[in-house]
Amino acid sequence: MSSGICFCNSQGGLFKIGENALLQMRAYVQDDPGKAEAGGVLLGRFIVDSADIVVDQVTIPMPGDKRSRHRFFREAKNHQAMIDRRWNQSKHRCNYLGGWHTHPEPNPTASKTDIRDWKRALRQNQFDSETLYFVIVGTQEVSAWEGNRHTRLIKELMSIPDQEN
Amino acid sequence: MADIQKQFEEFNDVVRLKQYEHNANLREKRDVILKKLKERLKVLFEERDDDLPKYTHFDQGSYKLGTGVKPLTGDFDIDVGLLFEVDRDEYRDPVVVKQWVYDALDGHTKKVEMRRPCVTVFYQNGEEPLYHVDLAVYSAADSNFDNKICVGKGKQGSPPENCIWEEADPDGLITVLTGKYSGDDWEQFRRCLRYLKRWKDLKFPTAGNAAPVGIGLTIAAYNWFYPKQKIVDNYAGQTRTDDLGALLDFANAMLCNFNLVFRDGEYAERIEAKLPVVPYGDVFEKMSNQYMTKFKEKLQKLVAVMEEAMKEADPVEACKKLQKVFGDDFPVPERDDTGAKRGPAIITSSHSA
Ligand SMILES: [Zn+2]
Repeated sequence: MSSGICFCNSQGGLFKIGENALLQMRAYVQDDPGKAEAGGVLLGRFIVDSADIVVDQVTIPMPGDKRSRHRFFREAKNHQAMIDRRWNQSKHRCNYLGGWHTHPEPNPTASKTDIRDWKRALRQNQFDSETLYFVIVGTQEVSAWEGNRHTRLIKELMSIPDQEN
Repeated sequence: MADIQKQFEEFNDVVRLKQYEHNANLREKRDVILKKLKERLKVLFEERDDDLPKYTHFDQGSYKLGTGVKPLTGDFDIDVGLLFEVDRDEYRDPVVVKQWVYDALDGHTKKVEMRRPCVTVFYQNGEEPLYHVDLAVYSAADSNFDNKICVGKGKQGSPPENCIWEEADPDGLITVLTGKYSGDDWEQFRRCLRYLKRWKDLKFPTAGNAAPVGIGLTIAAYNWFYPKQKIVDNYAGQTRTDDLGALLDFANAMLCNFNLVFRDGEYAERIEAKLPVVPYGDVFEKMSNQYMTKFKEKLQKLVAVMEEAMKEADPVEACKKLQKVFGDDFPVPERDDTGAKRGPAIITSSHSA
């Protein structure tokens, strides 16, 4: 059965985190004081003939990344290699969509560091879309934000409740 | 949400049964029977030293409308009407005329049966059914004082009150049904009807009157189907054909037309599909209350699944859901094929907290 989480994006479409991607991220939920923050990049599809975006998989902490209880540093190199590999394998249809990380709180909110980092990503990263998506996995909820490459405004997305059935 | 019109159209291409003009195989089978019938009737009447009344044949049923679907079991159904120039005052018992057809074709295959509405010739490969030809027997309008076409109902051994010539209008039915829509709307009408028929073949037992008859679904579509396009660009006013939306609306409209009626000693929710031509009867009449309840429940399930598919962002997941109601012939696209091609991405290192 397919389950996932859906949000409304600003283009009138849906931003969906697919089941597989969700399972990958939830494996790093900080539901125990001993668990360190984790993160990676979001990979997925801009669905043809629609405004929908689907996250199919994510990268997970890799060598070179640094993890502590409240911080995560993602070293570009290994994650970039994964982006390149999937992009090539999929004949350019599986794309970099943004990033994710965990928070040790039930309903995650974005920290100042997070917002600053996302704006920096919108400015410095190269990507072929108008928006990037940022996901924070809390101990209960998963929240998502959309950032606009031109205005660099970051907007939290509204989730659609009954998708998971 | 996910645009899966392409998958619906692929599904249509797989399940659609081509009409005679495009289907040499079925046309040949029909013609073999008609040739056999002609030869044998001639011999039978010569032996009796009697004149064979003239007759012509015509195609009827879903072939004529082009709304047929390929059968799941391979048991193709070929419908032929035989219009005999017989006066009903002279041949009061239609079974007499049906008997000519039966006698002419008996022995042609292992199994030939006279059934109440027609004479059926079964073709089998061992025990496996290949196809069957239903020959309905009519008395022509021109041969009768009242100028009415009637179809012969009844079989050998039926009590006389069940052997009747029933007024019918096979041409009128086709004219009425094909007259409702034209062009793209008619094509969408036919596609949606095929989807529903395939669902019916998959979800209902074939025996008895458990399944809603095809003509009933066709009449339901005539009553309650509306063509549907969805708006893809509000500003440019651009629209795209929306079979999922059209079928969902149609199925919902059918659900709205189940009404509580008293029948067989109980109240039951039933839907009617009345012929738009004589004899104007409800073609779902034979379904018991119990089967009607099942019909409604299955329709509700179909609607629920289509609604879920419509909400689904991922076309792959939407099609997997639809496969549960329309079967394995409904295609599921490759995941990567459903993503748009985009240029490369280069990321930088990142800090989060
Ligand atoms: Zn954070």
